[in-house]
Amino acid sequence: MNYNATQSTAPKAPAPAMTYICAECGSDNEIKPKEPIRCKECGYRIMYKKRTKRMVQFEAR
Amino acid sequence: MISKNMEDAQADVKRGIKEAQDQAEAFFGGKGLTDPIPTVEDKWKLLPAFLKVKGLVKQHIDSFNYFINVDLENIIKANERVKSDVDPHFYLKYTGIRVGAPERPDQEAMNRSYTPHECRLRDLTYSANIYVDIEYVRGRQIVRRKGVPIGRMPIMLRSSHCVLTGRNELELAKMNECPLDPGGYFVVKGVEKVILVQEQMSKNRIIVDVDRKGFVQAGVTSSTMERKSKTYVGTKHGKIYLKHNSISEDIPIVVALKAMGMQSDKEITQLVCGQDSKYIDKFSPNLEECSSMKIFTQQQALDYIGSKIDARKRSFGPGLRRPASEEALEILGSVVLAHVEVFDNNFRPKCIYVAVMTRRVVMAMLRGDLVDDRDYVGNKRLELAGQLLSLLFEDLFKKFNSDLKMNIDKVLKKPNRTQEFDVYSQLLFHGDHITSGFVRAISSGNWSLKRFRMERAGVTQVLSRLSFIAALGMMTRISSQFEKTRKVSGPRALQPSQWGMLCPSDTPEGEACGLVKNLALMTHITVDDEEAPLVKLSYILGCEDVSLLTGPEVYLPDTFLVFLNGNILGITRHSAQFVSAFRRMRRAGRISEFVSIFISDHHNSVHISCDGGRICRPLIIVENGKPRVRTEHIEQLSAGKLAFDDFLRMGLIEYLDVNEESDSNIALYEREIIPESTHVEIEPFTILGAVAGLIPYPHHNQSPRNTYQCAMGKQAIGAIAYNQLNRIDTLLYLMVYPQQPMVKTKTIEMIGYDKLPAGQNATVAVMSNSGYDIEDALVLNKASLDRGYGRCQVLRKYATLLRQYPNGSYDRLADPPVHPDDPNTVQEKYEVLDKDGIASVGERIKPGQVYINKQMPTNTSSDIGVNSRDPTANAYKNAPMSYKSGMEGYVDKVLMTTTDNDQTLIKALIRQTRRPELGDKFSSRHGQKGVCGIIIQQEDMPFSDLGVCPDVIMNPHGFPSRMTVGKMIELLAGKAGVLKGELQYGTAFGGSKVEDMSRILIENGFSYSGKDYVTSGVTGEPLSAYIYFGPVYYQKLKHMVMDKMHSRSRGPRAVLTRQPTEGRSRDGGLRLGEMERDCLIGYGASMLLLERLMISSDIFEIHVCEMCGLLGYAGWCQHCKSSKGMAKMQIPYACKLLFQELQSMNVIPRLQLQNVF
Repeated sequence: MNYNATQSTAPKAPAPAMTYICAECGSDNEIKPKEPIRCKECGYRIMYKKRTKRMVQFEAR
Repeated sequence: MISKNMEDAQADVKRGIKEAQDQAEAFFGGKGLTDPIPTVEDKWKLLPAFLKVKGLVKQHIDSFNYFINVDLENIIKANERVKSDVDPHFYLKYTGIRVGAPERPDQEAMNRSYTPHECRLRDLTYSANIYVDIEYVRGRQIVRRKGVPIGRMPIMLRSSHCVLTGRNELELAKMNECPLDPGGYFVVKGVEKVILVQEQMSKNRIIVDVDRKGFVQAGVTSSTMERKSKTYVGTKHGKIYLKHNSISEDIPIVVALKAMGMQSDKEITQLVCGQDSKYIDKFSPNLEECSSMKIFTQQQALDYIGSKIDARKRSFGPGLRRPASEEALEILGSVVLAHVEVFDNNFRPKCIYVAVMTRRVVMAMLRGDLVDDRDYVGNKRLELAGQLLSLLFEDLFKKFNSDLKMNIDKVLKKPNRTQEFDVYSQLLFHGDHITSGFVRAISSGNWSLKRFRMERAGVTQVLSRLSFIAALGMMTRISSQFEKTRKVSGPRALQPSQWGMLCPSDTPEGEACGLVKNLALMTHITVDDEEAPLVKLSYILGCEDVSLLTGPEVYLPDTFLVFLNGNILGITRHSAQFVSAFRRMRRAGRISEFVSIFISDHHNSVHISCDGGRICRPLIIVENGKPRVRTEHIEQLSAGKLAFDDFLRMGLIEYLDVNEESDSNIALYEREIIPESTHVEIEPFTILGAVAGLIPYPHHNQSPRNTYQCAMGKQAIGAIAYNQLNRIDTLLYLMVYPQQPMVKTKTIEMIGYDKLPAGQNATVAVMSNSGYDIEDALVLNKASLDRGYGRCQVLRKYATLLRQYPNGSYDRLADPPVHPDDPNTVQEKYEVLDKDGIASVGERIKPGQVYINKQMPTNTSSDIGVNSRDPTANAYKNAPMSYKSGMEGYVDKVLMTTTDNDQTLIKALIRQTRRPELGDKFSSRHGQKGVCGIIIQQEDMPFSDLGVCPDVIMNPHGFPSRMTVGKMIELLAGKAGVLKGELQYGTAFGGSKVEDMSRILIENGFSYSGKDYVTSGVTGEPLSAYIYFGPVYYQKLKHMVMDKMHSRSRGPRAVLTRQPTEGRSRDGGLRLGEMERDCLIGYGASMLLLERLMISSDIFEIHVCEMCGLLGYAGWCQHCKSSKGMAKMQIPYACKLLFQELQSMNVIPRLQLQNVF
């Protein structure tokens, strides 16, 4: 997707497919934008986003 | 001689004692007169058994089950046929109805069944299809079809159709549901909604009261399936009249009776007054009035009434003009006192009913104390979800049928149709009138039914999930229909008859005080039951038909009128036997256990009721001075061999409603049973509700303190449900380390508060310290906070819909934009975003950062061509959602799903962990709230000789005026419990005794008084007094400084007035209000006023023309067309607005300028 929203007329770059976790069966699902949200294993329609790969630092207070 | 006599006397005495002992041996089984009477141990175990089958939220569920399984069929039967005006041969008949299991509406789903939790997450409605069986005419044949869906019905959680009923803990956990969740609410559009219990006056009962002018009147609200109406028999100038809405004028009672076919004055007098001359004297003016009106026959009376009938109310179709007298007969028969039905024009029962009403009025006229108490709980009925939904469904179903009929007529009107007409297709494509009707009513709380002209708002409320107790407390709440502004104290006052039925403590303070009530622990609310078997039974037990009798016979001294649900059934001449036989039948289980029967000695009548909405509770039956429940029964109950229903079936306990309770002698304890006793309480602490049941030793507290705690217990932060971490609620407060209280109550165990607690056992020192603890402030130990005392998490939902617009454009998510200077990094604002434009889970998010980078199309309305070259046509504008809070948070969860209309829904849950800070609110369980005044290092805290440091220091000035002795005992019991290593009980009217607690303290080397030797942490010297020291259960309340803290120097202004905005959420200013302004005026601080009200607010520079006094430009007056005399000055912008607004209304404000200095 193009960020410069107000001028976005150029054809969109191929949308990145992200993997999400099905809330029912826990399987990974690749979902592209505008695709219906539906698990290909079980047909469940709730997906959770995966945890970040980046390091997270907590403040122990 | 004397000594001989003495010896004799002594021997006599000895003999006497011996005899008495022998007698005792014979009669009392070896027990002496002073031996304690054996009592049934652990009677309270009946209570958890009761709560398994009834009580708390079961009334909601029972009511809904009754509606869905029984009432629905009745409604269908009452409206079973749909006919056509066009084709007389056509009909559609509903032959059956049932509600299926909750299913998702989505057709292509693999597994149709769904759970409430999925509905919460996906913003769906937890509902099931309503299927009907139909029979209809197609062409020349009759077609039958089964299972035709006509709409969807929201399903109450844990009702008979819910997927959660009958599941064990493991299965519930798999469905993401909490086993301790009470159910009884609905999930509509993802929101949990409760239909509150509504309190009303009972229907179909005669209530005698005094109207505004001080006249006595007897009123009846008749309620049948067809209509609801209110009829009065009232007095005016000493004479009695019949009043009804459909008759424009009050009808003299004798005229009304004559119209109903009682022509003889003697008959009327006898039926109203019997043989009592006092009554006859009081009644005779009415007869005189009637004869002076020259009304002697039924026809004359009907003509008279017919002339008074409201012309507008004459219905029955056009063209059908009937004589007024027939109209009158019709109204008297079916509208006035509609619940007394008239079969075959037999008005006799209705005559008697009117006569009885009249008699009640005459009696009340002679004896003022015979006026009924409107606030008596026995005269109240509670309306539950089932009844409200049944009214709603009936209305929707009628509308559905009339729409269907209209469509059918439309099709049948066509002379030649291409296809044979099949209603089935009409029925299927009939839209979602019923579905949307239910959803709209429950989600908005507006019950508007045209048929009964019912318009009620606020019937439903969102289930509060602040804490487990808040949710539970909401399920037992009763809202009253009385308006809040009325200045009468009666409805708000504590009623003696609410004993054991409604909680005496749990009511809000302020406006709704006493009007909003809560059910007690053992209360059950009845549902409607069949009348026919009771009628039959009454006649078998010696009830005589009243229509066969004359007045004098009905009012004989030993003759009692028998009422069934407010209708006169007959008379009985042996009331005591009749009632006791009836009760025996109930105890034997021959009739429903919820049927109540009682004698009213004031009115010489026996009342039987089986209607719904009565409040009742179980009691142990006492026979011959002994309770029927014995120790062996309780043992069997504990062993699991008996359940609560077995106790009912065996006739050991029974349900009593308020009216029957007032007709019984109930002993509070077994030792108080006297020969007249009929029942004994199961446990006295059940007079309190679930919320008041959390308070330890409430019987030692001043009563308002318990009421305050009831309000505060609902604000305590704690565990909410076992599924709390799977929920995505708008706002969720969780405590990090909740503890169950050291001093608990039986109620706590029964409702599961020990499994989902909201608070921690803080070691409290009751002493003054530092001066930062005045006015109820608390001193907290910093080390305790470091260890996690009072730590809580706040989870907030941020949701957005990716909309699809009518012109085909979509909202979209955009990836994080790169930094303008360095294309390899991302701006800090967009740092947490993932490739898909949503923040990653687990990421730390700072205020101002974006978590959902949404973009919206600029053009959402007009059509865009597919190959449009116009670049602005499908451009997007940024609509990012950024995190606004005073504190950084962590992205806890991000959920993506589709709603039922195929739009993408994104919910992000952001978590904050908060440790207590200055100003956070805490409270014990005794209505003793306080804020944190200072946080002190542990080194500076006082410590006891064992080295124990308090978590909280509480100022002792909190005690004298509040008299919360319960808190002191809680501390003592808690300390004893800690030392002995066990939990103590503070159950109301019982609990661990102070003496035992002191003994435990002594055994462990402490002072019996609970006071300890304490050393000052600052000076190292012993404190000059012993300190009351021990654990008290403290709750952290949801009011936290972080959510309230607010300040502003400069900031946003409102667009229209250019004054600072209002409210914390808009970063608003702090208002200098009228009263503050008054102070400044009084003080004469004019420059300060000017600064506050203009310079710091909405100062505006204008140019005024000195000649015309109107506003102009800088150096030019458009009105005078001149530049002469333009002056510059400053006024509030609001003032300038006012001038312009006046001008727009053709009023010219002119400014006259003068030199001030």
